[in-house]
Amino acid sequence: MAGVTFDAATRVYPGSDTPAVADLDLQIEDGEFLVLVGPSGCGKSTSLRMLAGLEAVDDGRILVGDRDVTHVSPKDRDIAMVFQNYALYPHMSVGDNMGFALRISGVGTDEIARRVAEAAKILDLEPYLDRRPKSLSGGQRQRVAMGRAIVRRPRVFLMDEPLSNLDAKLRVQTRTEIAALQRRLGVTTVYVTHDQVEAMTMGDRVAVLKDGVLQQAGTPRELYDRPVNAFVAGFIGSPAMNLLEFGAEDGGVRFGGATVPVERSVLAAHPRLLLGVRPEDLEVGDRGLPVEVDVVEELGADAYVYGHAVLDGGPANVVARVRGRSLPAKGALLRVAPRPGSTHLFAVGDGARLG
Amino acid sequence: MATVIGKARVEEPAAAPVKAPRRKHAGIQSHYPFWFYLPAGVVYAVLFLVPTFIAFYFSLTRWGLFSQEFIGLDNFRQFFNEPGLLQGLKNSLIYGVITSALKVVLGLLLAVLLTSQIIARGWLRSVIFFPVLVSTIGVGITFTILMNPQQGLINKTLEVFGIHGPGWLTNPSLAIYSVALVDVWKGVGLATVIYIAGIVSIPRDYFEAAEMDGATAFERFRHIILPLARPATVTVIILSLIGGLRSFDLIWAMTGGGPGFSSDVIASVIYKQYQAGFYGLSTAGNVILFFAVTLIVLPIFWALNRKQVDM
Repeated sequence: MAGVTFDAATRVYPGSDTPAVADLDLQIEDGEFLVLVGPSGCGKSTSLRMLAGLEAVDDGRILVGDRDVTHVSPKDRDIAMVFQNYALYPHMSVGDNMGFALRISGVGTDEIARRVAEAAKILDLEPYLDRRPKSLSGGQRQRVAMGRAIVRRPRVFLMDEPLSNLDAKLRVQTRTEIAALQRRLGVTTVYVTHDQVEAMTMGDRVAVLKDGVLQQAGTPRELYDRPVNAFVAGFIGSPAMNLLEFGAEDGGVRFGGATVPVERSVLAAHPRLLLGVRPEDLEVGDRGLPVEVDVVEELGADAYVYGHAVLDGGPANVVARVRGRSLPAKGALLRVAPRPGSTHLFAVGDGARLG
Repeated sequence: MATVIGKARVEEPAAAPVKAPRRKHAGIQSHYPFWFYLPAGVVYAVLFLVPTFIAFYFSLTRWGLFSQEFIGLDNFRQFFNEPGLLQGLKNSLIYGVITSALKVVLGLLLAVLLTSQIIARGWLRSVIFFPVLVSTIGVGITFTILMNPQQGLINKTLEVFGIHGPGWLTNPSLAIYSVALVDVWKGVGLATVIYIAGIVSIPRDYFEAAEMDGATAFERFRHIILPLARPATVTVIILSLIGGLRSFDLIWAMTGGGPGFSSDVIASVIYKQYQAGFYGLSTAGNVILFFAVTLIVLPIFWALNRKQVDM
């Protein structure tokens, strides 16, 4: 096992002026489960492929353990990858698929059979070893792809959106299984997804990327509680954090009838501010911002109220979590105000966290 | 991951062929799509079925230009007694197998080369395909000149290296092989294009997975390209085998079936009978060739298709 280091790793695709991944600095500890997350085109898959050796590194370095693998071929990196579409060889049986890497590297037949059987047992694939991938369900194929990575006993696992081809129910089940399996095997894992729920539930740490630039890396709790900028704040959490633009006033910002206190130095430097507040941190009461209810999403114990408010900068959408037993009607006017100490402040231009 | 969740796993059903539900009014509507087959069906019938059945009929007649007489299977009896038939059949098989095999091997190798990252790839693809576009007779005449034992460029070039070139088309035991090589030169471009289409349709993931698994370039060729380009191989084998077994124009342009009858194939034996005015007899020969090609190609086609895998 080994840690992984991205040291100012950069990838610029031929014909493009802007890097797909720019100066990525990231340290992944030995045995850690790190999730790379971000919207489409943010560079998360490119970063993973750079680590795999399937994509060139134009600048910077990548290390596995203490070894610089920047210009080492994929096969010599001791890394196994689970592909989005699994890439199971259709002409080989499940067993042959799982043992292919071992066969290529000259491992004896008995040892291959033993290791394949061992992985098949872990993954509950024993009855399917002689079948072709085509005759398996999506979930079974996904497990074969995992098995192919496991039998190699690599120093690092890479997973490129391995759950995206599964239905919602199986996705939830499998993500728990993958996380549990990774903890059991203790192999350093880099996992790519665009789904922030997957990222938050699976990763020891989560790295958020946007436009090829690392925004923040931290534990799911850190990302949720102290996002470094408005992008991370809006990306992590479902429903997303409310980001409302206000003009600075004496002592803070006026949130309807309520005042959210802001430090003087911040107010002095920023005439306008982005106030972030999570839906569960908005309280419905007698004072606060008037919000007209558009939609109510019932979840049983709770409900999310989607509405709109009129701010001095124009109309804005607002989401608030309310108790499931006391639901407002569509078109009703609510007054919401943030719980004290639960707000986040960001600069209007670059979205950087203030304070 | 049984160890993780024990018996709690909710198994999806394995993929199985799904039967489309029968529509209630299938009986009433089922004739509707057949109207769309009609134009193609008419063209096929007029240009293929009718001439084929007419040929079957004429093969049973003594057929002059302006008269015909039904003579039963006499033409077939006579054709099977042709002295050159056995040699023609042997040469047709040799020609078909050699051209087909070489087109598969060379076409695949060229396609691998032309799908890799090489300089001037697009230009090279055009160059490889160019001979396919040239007239067969033109190619035949050109290579007849090039293969001239004394004056031909091939033997002249060999002489520079101190090699005494053979009589490519004048040596009876070599002529059919020389023509087969020219056929391969002319047809390998089509095989290459078919293989290129086959190789580029293999999902990139397989190559990357194999690369991660530690496969070398040769192992990727052996374990990924070769099995997954199988549909292209089947197409090339079948097309070139059919073409080879029926081949006539290039052989006729280069050797006329000679020296003697050494490079005669079934098609040239048939053509000679047409030339002599035995239309019924030569049509019987064509019917026999039709069945012979079908008999050889169909089992190969079934056998090759049985092992195909979906990607």
